[in-house]
Amino acid sequence: MQAKVSVRRFNPDEEQPKPYDQQYDIEVEEHFTVLDALIKVREEVDGSLALRCSCRAAICGSCAMRVNGHAVLACKARVSQHLSDDGEVRVEPAGNQPVIKDLVVDLEPFWNKVRAVEPYLQPSLPEPEAEYLAPNEVMLHLVDVMGCIMCGACVSDCTVLEVDPNFLGPAALAKAYRFVADTRDEEDSKRLGLYNGYGGIWDCTRCGECVAACPKGVAPMDRIMALREKAIESGTPPGGYDGAAYGYRHAEAFEEIVSHKGRLEETMLVVKTLGMFNLPKMLGMLPVGLNAMFHRKMPSPFAPTVPGVNQIRRLAARIKMNKDGAAR
Amino acid sequence: MYSHDVLVLGAGLAGMRAALEAARSGANVAMLSKVYPVRSHSNAAQGGINAALTDRGDDWHEHAYDTVKGSDFLGDQDAIEVMCREAGQELINLEHMGVIFNRDDEGRLGTRAFGGQRRARTFFVADITGQAILHVMYEQILKYNVRVYDEWYATTLITDHGRCGGVVAMEMRTGEVHAIRAKAVILATGGLGRVFEPSTNALICTGDGMSLAYRAGAPLMDMEMVQYHPTTLKGSGVLLSEGARGEGAYLINSRGERFMERYAPNMMELASRDVVSRAEITEINEGNDIDGCVLLDCRHLGRAKIMERLMYIHEVAMDLVGVDITKDPVPIRPGVHYQMGGIKTDVDGRCWDPSGGWKGVEGLFAAGETACVSVHGGNRLGANSLLDTVIFGRRSAEAAMDYASANNHLEFSEDNWVGGEKATMQALLDNSGGDLVAKVRLDMATAMDEGLGVYRTEEGMQRALDAVRGMKDRFKNVIVQDKGKAFNTNLIFALELGCMLDCAEAIAVGGIDRKESRGAHSRLDYAARDDENWMKHILLYQGPGDQVTKEYVPIVITQWQPEERKY
Amino acid sequence: MRYAFFPGCVSRGGAPELYQSTIAVAGRIGIELEEIEGWSCTGAGALQESNPLLGDTLNARNFALAQRMGLSIMTICSTCQGVMAQARVRLEDEEYRAQINELLAEEDLEYTGGIQVKHMLWIMVEDIGLDHIKSLAVKSLDGVFLAPFYGCYIVRPSAALEYDAYPQRKIALELVIEALGATAVDNDGKTRCCGFPILTINERNSLAMVAKHTGEAQDLGADAMVTPCPLCHLNLDGFQSKAARQVGRQINVPILHLPQLIGAALGLDGPALGLNRHIVSSFDVALKMGLRV
Repeated sequence: MQAKVSVRRFNPDEEQPKPYDQQYDIEVEEHFTVLDALIKVREEVDGSLALRCSCRAAICGSCAMRVNGHAVLACKARVSQHLSDDGEVRVEPAGNQPVIKDLVVDLEPFWNKVRAVEPYLQPSLPEPEAEYLAPNEVMLHLVDVMGCIMCGACVSDCTVLEVDPNFLGPAALAKAYRFVADTRDEEDSKRLGLYNGYGGIWDCTRCGECVAACPKGVAPMDRIMALREKAIESGTPPGGYDGAAYGYRHAEAFEEIVSHKGRLEETMLVVKTLGMFNLPKMLGMLPVGLNAMFHRKMPSPFAPTVPGVNQIRRLAARIKMNKDGAAR
Repeated sequence: MYSHDVLVLGAGLAGMRAALEAARSGANVAMLSKVYPVRSHSNAAQGGINAALTDRGDDWHEHAYDTVKGSDFLGDQDAIEVMCREAGQELINLEHMGVIFNRDDEGRLGTRAFGGQRRARTFFVADITGQAILHVMYEQILKYNVRVYDEWYATTLITDHGRCGGVVAMEMRTGEVHAIRAKAVILATGGLGRVFEPSTNALICTGDGMSLAYRAGAPLMDMEMVQYHPTTLKGSGVLLSEGARGEGAYLINSRGERFMERYAPNMMELASRDVVSRAEITEINEGNDIDGCVLLDCRHLGRAKIMERLMYIHEVAMDLVGVDITKDPVPIRPGVHYQMGGIKTDVDGRCWDPSGGWKGVEGLFAAGETACVSVHGGNRLGANSLLDTVIFGRRSAEAAMDYASANNHLEFSEDNWVGGEKATMQALLDNSGGDLVAKVRLDMATAMDEGLGVYRTEEGMQRALDAVRGMKDRFKNVIVQDKGKAFNTNLIFALELGCMLDCAEAIAVGGIDRKESRGAHSRLDYAARDDENWMKHILLYQGPGDQVTKEYVPIVITQWQPEERKY
Repeated sequence: MRYAFFPGCVSRGGAPELYQSTIAVAGRIGIELEEIEGWSCTGAGALQESNPLLGDTLNARNFALAQRMGLSIMTICSTCQGVMAQARVRLEDEEYRAQINELLAEEDLEYTGGIQVKHMLWIMVEDIGLDHIKSLAVKSLDGVFLAPFYGCYIVRPSAALEYDAYPQRKIALELVIEALGATAVDNDGKTRCCGFPILTINERNSLAMVAKHTGEAQDLGADAMVTPCPLCHLNLDGFQSKAARQVGRQINVPILHLPQLIGAALGLDGPALGLNRHIVSSFDVALKMGLRV
C-alpha cells in the first residue's frame, strides 16, 4: 500500500529556521505503524529526519507526536487507520512544547512540572523492616496510574497549556495523584495544598483532551478530578490562590444549588462562587450581567420551582446522609 | 570541564540504582544517558523480579541453586550467592522507595511463578514490573537531585595506561562535544539486541558500553551466550512476558498439543528459556508450526486475570498483531532477548582484577546487562535481570565511591580527547559513496540471526563472522545523510553501528571458540555439554591491529557441582 | 418522531433563545417534543467532581422518567449530552444500577438500563436525515461562512458517545452546515475547550480560550460560529468583548445555536429564533442569511 507521509519539519541549523512540510511517498505494509513508516523514511530515504523512538511497543514513551492533528504514540498508531481518502497521513511534533528539530520537542518544561509536584514517596518514618502493608485493591488502582509512561501526549493536547504554560498539566498532576492515592504516602495534606495553587488542579477545564490522547488509559483528567474531590473532602485550605477558593466554592455551590433547586441557576452559582461581597470580582461580572439582562437572557429569580423538586431534595439528602454515615 | 567523582553512563535500572546509592552517600555523582532515564530499556522487563524472602519460608540458597542450574553451570557461584543473598533486602528497598507491587490477601508482597524455578518467588507489578520500578527509581533520582546529562551520547572512554578518567560525549541537542572528568566511571548502558534482527530489544540497545570498554582495553566475557526468549511476536520481535506462562498460559503447536510435555515433562512451559526456545524451534522445524510460529494460549486464564495481571501484553498483542489474547491464542516464536555475556567484572562491578588474575581498565565499573559478573552464565532465569541491575548497580556504586575517595582525577588533555572524537565524527560525516547506516546494520543483524540463532554450527558461525568483518570494512565508508549539528540522530546511529559491529564480532568469535553446547549456546556439531574442557569463561580483548585475543578464566564453584540439567 | 425532551438548565436560564429556537424549529422538521416533567440538572461534570453518586442518581432519575414516557431522550446541550452518555455507560453496570435504583425506589422510580440519549445535532443527521432537512429549507445559505464549534462533551470521550458506531458524529456539524448550503470553516478550535468551566476560577485563562477560538474563526473569515452547546455559547458570546480586550484586538463573531441555523434555512425570522438575544450582535449574519431581523 502506498502512503504519503507528510511530516512537519524544522531544522534549527538553518540561518532562519522555519517549519515546513515535507512529503515522503513510501510503500507501507498493512501492519505498519506510523513509527514503522517514519523509521522507513529515516533509514531508507532521508537520514536527516529527526524523531525520538525506542521500544516500538508503547512502553518507553519516546514517540509521542501528533498524527492528523492529535497526539498519539507513533508506535501504537496504525498507518492504515490514519490515512486520508487520498492516502495521506500528517505527522507533526507534539504540541505545547518548543520544537528542537523536526519531531523532537524540548521536554525540559515537561520535567520541570513533574519535579514541581514532589514526585516521590514521602512515607511515615521510621520505615518498617519488611514491606509496608497495603491492600491489593489500592495497589491495583495505582497500577493504572503507574501505567503512565511520561510520553507527554496529554500535555501535547491540553487546552489549558495552550493558553497558560504555567499549568502543571495532566501528566504531572496524574503523577501527583499517584502519591495522594498511595496509602504509604503520609503527606496528603501538604500535597493537596501544593496542588491547590495557581496552575494546579483547579485550572483544568475538564475538556477531556488528555483522556483522549493518553495511549495508556491513565485518564489524567479523572485523576485531577479525584484530587479535587480529595481536596474538598479533606478540607485542605485553598492556599493563596483565589482560583482554588473559587474552585471549592464552585463545586460546593453547584452541589448545593442542584440539591436544593434541582436545576442550575447560573446567577446564583456566580454569586456563590465569587462571594456576594467580593466587590472587585462582582463588578467585573456586572457589565456582562447587565448586558445579558438587556438582552432578556437573565433568568428570572422568581422562576417557578421545578416540578418534583422535593423528590430531588430527598434523594440528595439521603445520599448525603449515607455519605456522612460512611465517613463516621 | 565538567567534573564528578562518579559518572554513571546509562540511566536504566542499574545506572539509576548506582547513581542513587552514590547520591544518598553525598558523593558528587552524575548520570549520562542517550535517552531520558525513563525511556531506558529496563521498561521492557515485564514479568517481575526474583527474591527469596525468608519471612515467606523461602531460602536464598534455593534461589541460588535454581540460578546456577539455569545458567547451565556457567555462572560464577560466588556472584550468584551474593545476588541471591542480597535480593530480599533490595526488594524491600524497592518497596520502600514506592514501587507498587501486587499484593497478597494480607497486603504483603505477592508472588507469581516463573521459569526454571521450583518456587514462586517472582514479585511483580502486573506485567509492567520493569516500568513500574524504573519510574519509581527515577522519582528517587529527582528526589536526590542527581545531575543527569539527558540525551548525551558518550563516544569514548578517556583512558591512560589502563586507567579510566572520564568520557567524551556529545550533547545531542546542540551537537557539541565535551569531555567529562570522573574519578570512577560506571557503565550501565544495557544490552545489544539490535545486533540481531528481529529482537525484543529497543532501538537504543546497541551495545555501546560493551564496545566502549572493549576499545579501552577491558575484556568481554561469554559473549556467545545470547538468550532467545521463547515468546516474542513474529515480525517485530516484541516481547510477550514469561509472566503469561507464569500465570498458567500454554504453548501449543499447530496440532493443538502442549508440546512441552515431550521436552520438559515436569516444568512444562516453565522450563528455563533456552530449553523452551529449543523446543519451539524443534516443533517449527518439524512442521508443527503455523507460518513459522507456535501459539501462546492464555484463553483459559480468564479475562479478569488477564486484565489484572497481563494487561500490557494484552495491549501489545492487540496493537501490533490484532489478537485479543482473552479470545485467541497468539502466534509467537523465539527471539533474541538478552546478552548474558558482557564486560567482565568482579562482584563489585570492577572491570579490572586487583589481584591480577585478568587485566582490564582501572577506575572503570560496569553493572546490569552490559556487565558479566557472571550471574547468568549460559542462560538467565526470567526475573533475574531486574534483580541483577539493582544488586550490582548498588554494589558497583559502593566500590566506585571507595575508588574515587582513594584516587585523584586522571590528568589528560581535554583538547586532544575532544579533538580526536570530533575528527572521528567529521570523518564519518565526510564519507561519500558508501552504504547507508541502516543498510549495513540490517545486513549485520541478518547475518547474525542466520549464523548465531538458537541452533548453531561452526560453518554458520564462521559465515556470520566473515560477514561481520566485511561489514566492518563497509562501515568505514558508511554514509551519514544528516550533516547538521542539532539532534543528528543519523550520526548517532552510525556511531552505534560501530559499537554493534564490535559486539557482533565478539559474539561470533566466542561462539566459534566454545566447542560444546551449554545454556543458550547450542551447537549441532557439538551437541553435548563438555564439563571436562569447558568449565571456563572466554574473555575477549581487543588486541593489536583490532585483532581479537582470547583468554580463559575458570568458573567459580562454591557448593554446586555440575550435574545433568533436566526440567 | 417523538422524543422525551431534555432542555437542560442553560436553555431555561442564561440562553433562553436556544429553547425558543428549538421549539420554533422542532415541529417544522418533524420532531415532536414532549418535555420530561420534573427533569433535573445532569451535574454538568461539576457535580460529578464533588458528589459523583448524586450526579449518577440524578441522571438515573431523568432516564427513569423518560423510560416511563416510553421515549428516547433528545438533548440540545453538548454538555448534558456528554454527561448523560457517561452516566449511561456507568449505569450499564448492573450492580451499580441496582445500588442507585435502591435510592430511586423510595421515589417509586426505576431505571432499567439501555436508554437512548441523542443530541438534536445527531438526530438531524441520523434520524431526520440531511436530505429531508434540505428538502424543507426554503432558502439556501449559499455564501455564508460558518465555523463549527462542538463543545468538548459531545466529542470526548468518544467511546461513551459511540463514535465507532456512528462515525458521522465526528463531522455532524459540518454536515448540517453544508447541507443547508453554507460553507463550513474548518478551524483548529472546533473540538477544543471554550473555557466556560473555569470562568469563575481562572477568568484570564477562560477568556484567553474565548479569544483564541473566536479570533481564529474571525481570521478564517467566518461570518459566525455555530455551536450545539449553550455553555460554549455563554462564554463565546457573553465574554467575547472582554476576551478581545484582554488580548488587545478587535473580535466580533456572532455565535449561533444549532437550531437558529436550521430555523434560518427554514425561513423563520430573527426575532422568532431569538437572534436579538445575543450579546454579540447577529445582525450582519442574519442579513447575510436573508432573515427578517
